[in-house]
Amino acid sequence: MSESEPPTRVSIAAGPLVGPVLRRVVGMFAARADLPLDRLDDAVLVADVVAARAPAHVAAQTVDVALASSTRSLDLRVGPLRVGGGRALVVDAAVPGVGNVIERLADTLDVEAEGEHEFLRVTLAYAGTD
Amino acid sequence: MGTRAASAPVAALESDIRLTLPARPENVAVVRHVLGALAEALDLPPAVTADIRLAVTEACTNVVRHAYGDRAGDIDVVVRPRGRALEVIVADNGRGMGPSPDTSGPGLGLPLMAALADSLEIQGSATAGSRLMMSFLRNRTRPAMGVT
Repeated sequence: MSESEPPTRVSIAAGPLVGPVLRRVVGMFAARADLPLDRLDDAVLVADVVAARAPAHVAAQTVDVALASSTRSLDLRVGPLRVGGGRALVVDAAVPGVGNVIERLADTLDVEAEGEHEFLRVTLAYAGTD
Repeated sequence: MGTRAASAPVAALESDIRLTLPARPENVAVVRHVLGALAEALDLPPAVTADIRLAVTEACTNVVRHAYGDRAGDIDVVVRPRGRALEVIVADNGRGMGPSPDTSGPGLGLPLMAALADSLEIQGSATAGSRLMMSFLRNRTRPAMGVT
C-alpha cells in the first residue's frame, strides 16, 4: 500500500455488529502494515476496546473509523465523537488491574478537534527489527 | 429473482455497515473479510455466506477493473440486515456500467451476480457512477451456487 493512499473508512451502526466487523478490519490492516504478531494482537485489542466504548461517545448513531496502514504502522482515526468524547473514550479504556488499554498499547494518541466534533487518533507501530 | 437496469441517479447511502475503500485489488479482500465477520455474527448458513461473498467479490472486482480507468476512486459497500434478508450495495462514482474497453463482449459478472442473489437491481449513469443492489435471503431453500 502506498503511503499516500486515501484511508479506508468503515461506518457501523452502534450495536452488536461493531465489534465483529471492526476487529476484522483492523486485524487485516495491521497485517497489511506488516506488524509483527504481538502488535497485530495489540491492534485487535484496541479495536475491541473502541468497539465496546465508542458507542457512548459518538456524535451520531454510528461508530466511524478511518484506517491507514504504512510500513510497520497502523493509524486509526475514530470519530466523529461528541465534544469531550475523545478523552472520555480513552478514560473508558481503563481496565481494573490492567490499566488503560489504549494508552498502554498506542505509540501515539491524540484528540483532534474538527468543527463541533472530536476525533481520536491512535497509531500503533513497530520500530524493532525481526 | 428480478434484474433490472435503471437510470436514476446514484443516491447517497445510509446503512448499518458502510465501507469506503480505494478501488484497488487488495481492498476486495477487505470487503470479503468484513462479509465473513458479518456472516459469523449473524450466524448465516455457510452456503449463503459463500454466495454473498462470491457475488460481492464480483461486484467489487468490476469496480476495480472498470469504474475509474486510470484515475483513482472509491468502492462504497453498504450492508444492511433487513428482516429475513441481507441487502448489499456496491457503488462507485466512476463511468457507469457499459461495455468494457478491455474485453470483447459481456462477461459473466452480471449473470453470476444475478444467479447468486435473490434480487439484483442496477442503477448507473456515465456521470454518477454505478450502484448494484443485491438482496440475499438469510435462510434460502435452494442450494447455494457458491463454493464453501
